[in-house]
Amino acid sequence: MTRQLLAAIAAAALCATCAAPSTNSTETAKPAATNGVPRTADGKPDLTGVWQGGNGRRGTWEEANSGLGVGGTGVDPAAPANPASQQVITDPAPYKPEAAARVLESFNKRGIDDPAGLCLPLGVPRLALVGLFPLQIVQTPTQVVILHEYMSVFRVIPLNAEHRTDVAPTYMGDSVARWDGDTLVVDVVNFNDKGWLTGTGTFHSDALHVTERYARIDKDQIDYVITMEDPNVLTKPWTVKTTLMLREGTHLQEYVCAENNVETAHYEKILKEGVAYRR
Amino acid sequence: MSRLTFGVCLTALVWLFSNPALAHHSFGAEFDANKPITLKGVVTKVEWTNPHSHFSLDVTDDKGRTAKWVLTGYTVNALYRTGWKKDVTMKVGDTVTIFGWRARDGSNSAHAREVTFTDGKKLFYGPPAGTGEGGSTPAVKVP
Repeated sequence: MTRQLLAAIAAAALCATCAAPSTNSTETAKPAATNGVPRTADGKPDLTGVWQGGNGRRGTWEEANSGLGVGGTGVDPAAPANPASQQVITDPAPYKPEAAARVLESFNKRGIDDPAGLCLPLGVPRLALVGLFPLQIVQTPTQVVILHEYMSVFRVIPLNAEHRTDVAPTYMGDSVARWDGDTLVVDVVNFNDKGWLTGTGTFHSDALHVTERYARIDKDQIDYVITMEDPNVLTKPWTVKTTLMLREGTHLQEYVCAENNVETAHYEKILKEGVAYRR
Repeated sequence: MSRLTFGVCLTALVWLFSNPALAHHSFGAEFDANKPITLKGVVTKVEWTNPHSHFSLDVTDDKGRTAKWVLTGYTVNALYRTGWKKDVTMKVGDTVTIFGWRARDGSNSAHAREVTFTDGKKLFYGPPAGTGEGGSTPAVKVP
């Protein structure tokens, strides 16, 4: 049995011990929000800051990513020289059988068909889960703006507004938000069908509806709960719980993916020449 | 359930669910994690570009034959956060040793994970093997 599998079992057992309470909507929606959570003038938890998804460690970017590094970008000279890629285990996504086959095909193709390979926006929530790049939240009383370094994508999210009806479907969809106690709830619709939800191959249709819940439970951490509904490809709503971690001192940088995307040509070469690359 | 327990549970879920390599270009499709390689050579070109940076190495073997290799790694922003600085950390003419994984097409190309400089300093240049290929478990149940 591999070390990764043992760790996965241990983590799964840990979660099993708190699975029921963790679904308690009161706890999720209305955390105490007194543990160092800054508040805006209107009394709401302030989500403003630079955050990192996909990495539950506290600290600055360098501290949280040191050593082997969740993002693999550690500066720690004591880091293992050649760490292997990390294990990824999750409950199976509730795809319909024919849709699941398509997801599995992308996985077996090692993600060579990833929209990211074409420098396209990753969609919601996938873009927030990329550990390699930070995102910045700017909160005002009337709107919340999320700036993603990766692909230089922005989301302007009005508060207490109706969805727009005069815009075409997009990769990031149309977002509106409201406060549910101390939790910011963002409702996202009007997606195109060109993105992935989370992991490799997790495609969706233009019927996708995403509900995001952001709850800053302490100074360093936002509990980020995402529910994805897509009756065309999913059998039931798919909920994922993760965190965004504060990265004080980190600044967003320009990122222009199309600058030198030679990987596209490399992938075409692999496919054209019949290079063995599948699992 | 205490908040601590809830937090620990969430952390575990993060570990289970999140993949730092998630949504990155597929290094796994282009480079073979089963073909590790170590190269020592002279830097002939350095490209600080997105979505990936590259540099070229002239690698000379025991018989004096020189081959040109191209190494691929992180995006520019990630390199800066990893401790690199353009035109300072690695320059044309420098001798470096890299560890990485070879391209699947058999060309003189590799994904460089780590660069070791002549003074012994090591820096990550690219992500772990297999990055971007979706990890080891698909998102759906395998029938």
